[in-house]
Amino acid sequence: MNSVFLQRLTRLSILLFFQVLVFNHIHLLGYITPLVLGYMIACFHRNSSRNSILLWAFSAGLLNDMFSNTAGMAAASCTLAAMMQPLLLGMFTPYNSAEDLTPTFRTLGFWKYVTYITLLMFVLHVAYYALDAFTLRDWPLTLLSIAGATLLTTIIIVFIELLVHPRKQGQVPN
Amino acid sequence: MRALIDILIQYKHWLLFLLLEAISFLFLFSFNGRQRSVFFTTANDVVGSAYSVISSITSYIQLQEENERLEATNEQLRQQLYTMRQQLEDSKLVNTHPMKALPPLYHTVPAKVVNLTLHKANNLITINKGEADGIRPEMGVVNSQGVVGIVYMTSQHYSIVMPLLNVNSKVSCRLRHSEYFGSLIWQRGCANIAYATSIPRHVKVKKNDIVETNGYSDVFPAGLPIGAVAGFGDSADGMSYMLKVKLFANFTTLREVSVITNYHSPERRLLEQQAEDPAKQDSILAEQEKRKAAELKELEQRKAAEQRAVDKEIQEELEKQFIQAQGAQTVQDTEKADTVR
Repeated sequence: MNSVFLQRLTRLSILLFFQVLVFNHIHLLGYITPLVLGYMIACFHRNSSRNSILLWAFSAGLLNDMFSNTAGMAAASCTLAAMMQPLLLGMFTPYNSAEDLTPTFRTLGFWKYVTYITLLMFVLHVAYYALDAFTLRDWPLTLLSIAGATLLTTIIIVFIELLVHPRKQGQVPN
Repeated sequence: MRALIDILIQYKHWLLFLLLEAISFLFLFSFNGRQRSVFFTTANDVVGSAYSVISSITSYIQLQEENERLEATNEQLRQQLYTMRQQLEDSKLVNTHPMKALPPLYHTVPAKVVNLTLHKANNLITINKGEADGIRPEMGVVNSQGVVGIVYMTSQHYSIVMPLLNVNSKVSCRLRHSEYFGSLIWQRGCANIAYATSIPRHVKVKKNDIVETNGYSDVFPAGLPIGAVAGFGDSADGMSYMLKVKLFANFTTLREVSVITNYHSPERRLLEQQAEDPAKQDSILAEQEKRKAAELKELEQRKAAEQRAVDKEIQEELEKQFIQAQGAQTVQDTEKADTVR
């Protein structure tokens, strides 16, 4: 059992703890609930095993479903986001960057990181709210939920990131 | 195979992704009622639409076959329509008879004239019904206007009719509203004029009096119109009138006819033949004698049997009385003996 695994397990446990106890109880405007668990997926470094990302994301989603009575919804959306993560990360990392580059403010830069997180969270929340609504009857509300939850989750993740990886003094956002 | 395995290994994360998504959806539809109902409703709609499309394509492919079937059905219906129309026309022909309705004893078979000659002395008509339709020689033929002729010969599906316009034709007739009768004959010439002979001279005849069948023959029932009196003169012997009769039946446009099939005719003819035949008369009388003798014998036998039964009854009654008397005597004797003692 290596340190990476323990690190991921710890991250998963903490995120799941807050997701279940805190974020799942946030219903902004009555229907916007952030899925901060997505941060777990965003943290996988460059060239991580895709199978590993998929299995971790699926497990995280499934655990969240078990505690929040949304069987399969988070698991499916996290799996989709995990499938998209290497592609999205590839969009924001140069070819000559480190093989095991971990996406953070420091490595990617503020705006690139925010864009990366926004896109990843958008994919995650599109899948989640689409499965939640499962119909096109209230599509404006669904779109609003997706947009709101994406924005809220991105803001929360940015705060978490600022807490975990605080930017160095005098660093210019690129 | 190796290449396939290589491809599978290369894209194993896709397989894993699909597997995990499948598991997720399995959970989703197993534990979320709303999603399940929406899924199945939508799935049913999609499947229904797919079936509809497939059905449309299949029916388009089968259109040729369907067309052929419809064409066959159309043809069949057309045939039926034609047949029924013919039957309707035939029934109208009989029902709209200007003559008084045929007695129920007489049945008619509608027929079409397929050949007709009018310019010969022995004119004949061919009709399209024969023995298969129950037509036999010596049956009367009429149309909506009046009497046409008598069946002369028959085959399985055709019959030859001897019309009134035949020098050999002779039909019993009478004047309507009178009981005087004669014979209708035709003399070569006009196709709508015949002559009624043997009409007594004392009969009052007017022009346009109706000449009709008299019902003496078993060919036509009484009262079928033949024609109207167009003129009258003396017959060759001078003893009777010879009426010029304008026939009602228009032979020049003859198309539809009806054959009167009198089913009682053979029975009547047989009876009449038997009555006329002296040998038959003798045999019938002998048979009647024999039947009477047999009846007499049977009567005598029955009487004898009855007599025997009565005698037996009387004998039994007498025996019973005798036994009773004997019994009474025995009782009296016993009583007497007791008294003496």
